[in-house]
Amino acid sequence: MDTIRIPSARGSFRVWQRNVTIFRKYWKTILFPNFVEPLLYLAALGLGLGAFIQQGGINGQSYVQFVAPGLLASNAMFAASFESTFNTFVKLKIDKIYDAIITTPVNAEDVVAGEYLWAGTRSALYGTAFLAMIVVLGIVFREPLVTSWWALLLPLMLLVIGIMFSVLGTLFTSLIERIDLYAYYFTLVVTPLFLLSGVFFPVDNFPAPVPQVAWFTPLYHAVNVCRELATGPSPGVLVDVAWILVFTGVLALIPVQIMRRRLIG
Amino acid sequence: MNAERNTGAESTLEARALKKSYGDFEAVKGVDFRVFGGECFGFLGPNGAGKTTTMKMIYGAVIPTAGELAVAGLDVYHHEREIKRRIGVVPQENNLDDELKVRENLLIYGRYYDLPRKVVLQRTDELLDFMQLSEKAEATVEQLSGGMKRRLLIARALINDPEIVVLDEPTTGLDPQARLLVWDRLRELTTEGKTLILTTHYMEEAARLCDRLVIMEGGLIIADGTPGELVEEHVSPQVLELTADHRSLEELLSVVEGADSVERTGDETVLVYTEDADTLLENVRSSGVDIENTVYRQAGLEDVFLRLTGRRLIE
Repeated sequence: MDTIRIPSARGSFRVWQRNVTIFRKYWKTILFPNFVEPLLYLAALGLGLGAFIQQGGINGQSYVQFVAPGLLASNAMFAASFESTFNTFVKLKIDKIYDAIITTPVNAEDVVAGEYLWAGTRSALYGTAFLAMIVVLGIVFREPLVTSWWALLLPLMLLVIGIMFSVLGTLFTSLIERIDLYAYYFTLVVTPLFLLSGVFFPVDNFPAPVPQVAWFTPLYHAVNVCRELATGPSPGVLVDVAWILVFTGVLALIPVQIMRRRLIG
Repeated sequence: MNAERNTGAESTLEARALKKSYGDFEAVKGVDFRVFGGECFGFLGPNGAGKTTTMKMIYGAVIPTAGELAVAGLDVYHHEREIKRRIGVVPQENNLDDELKVRENLLIYGRYYDLPRKVVLQRTDELLDFMQLSEKAEATVEQLSGGMKRRLLIARALINDPEIVVLDEPTTGLDPQARLLVWDRLRELTTEGKTLILTTHYMEEAARLCDRLVIMEGGLIIADGTPGELVEEHVSPQVLELTADHRSLEELLSVVEGADSVERTGDETVLVYTEDADTLLENVRSSGVDIENTVYRQAGLEDVFLRLTGRRLIE
């Protein structure tokens, strides 16, 4: 029975819907930190660190303008990563939620795809809250941080970015037996991506092989897309979008198969 | 609830040479059984006998290594979703959704079956009532007692009005009162015409609920029949449990030698099976062997198991 399993849209939707039902009970509490987070970052990085960055900023932008869309992308990464690691692990191994779901017409493969969609949704919701706060702060401090109507596409893009990081996080989850091992994932995967993908400084001008290595990592492209959409995109952004879609598409079915084997003996 | 009776004699579940191995370990070593529509069919056996693995093969959580298994006339290898749509599952381990309230557990579960919202709402209320959980509808799962959680699991398994309900140890861990209530509800389901398949290691449960059952041990079915047939076929109807000091035990064994069969459990108790307990007890008394305790009872499934395996069901 080792055929490759393709999730069904209907089953995936049901799993997504379960998560939405629970989220709707607590959404105010869950979303609130996402309004506070940009304030903290922009205060520390914009006013604190930014004060040391010489006039003229980066690529003609002030440091705050440069860093804000990057933080938006990393916010989506963190949202999807927590969802697909700790939250998924608890449902899988502790609460046994998936064991209950797969006795219904919803199959194991649908569970995984539904969780991808949910993690993406969560990223989009978190990111939209974050984005709204950035816009407001830009107006309040008279330093527009989002300057293009293209920014309206950001929630959709954050959904896609969230799905990408959910696939990556679920892949790790599908391989581990103990919750402590996430320390490795966050220290060795998520944190380096956060620090070295162009959120805080441009990596493109670094000597080889830094930009080349960065090109092969997911957050780098997510940051590029968010930054371009916030300020008006160049055609080059299509390469980043394509990269994200291909990376996600190629990896997506792998955790599906591994998780299915974990859920079905 | 569906009051339609489904008592046709066609088999609703059929296994042939069904096997499951995990590496070198054979959990189920080739079993055959048939379950007919509308009956309550039991798997009686100790922990590790392969009962749960067999249940999981029925509801698609375990894929058989070899053999055939048809559920509701559908082959498990090719009709996973369709089978799951037509059965209800009560797992051994509680896996209620703790993030949802009691009522929501049923509503959300109903959505997994793509049932119309109206139908789910109606059945949810009926099932909460049927399982005596209406008062707890808005409680969290955490606030429920063990018996209530089990009843909610059963209600959840019925949300799709299944033809077949698979129950893996439905009353393990429950106190006697909670157990009686579950038994009562399960019997009600069989009168409604549902087919029940359950595992248990309580022979009383098997004797009270099951129309037919198999006894499993070590991944094999070692006996099958109705509870009455099993007792009749494998043991004599009357049992004397004689407890003697271990020094007098040898003597006691020689006195009861003429009985149909004798089993020793532990150091000091001897179970003697006979057609005529009075005569036997007379013989024991007149022999002068020092007996500490005597219990006379009718033979049951526990004795069948002891006879077949040489050990007690629950040790």
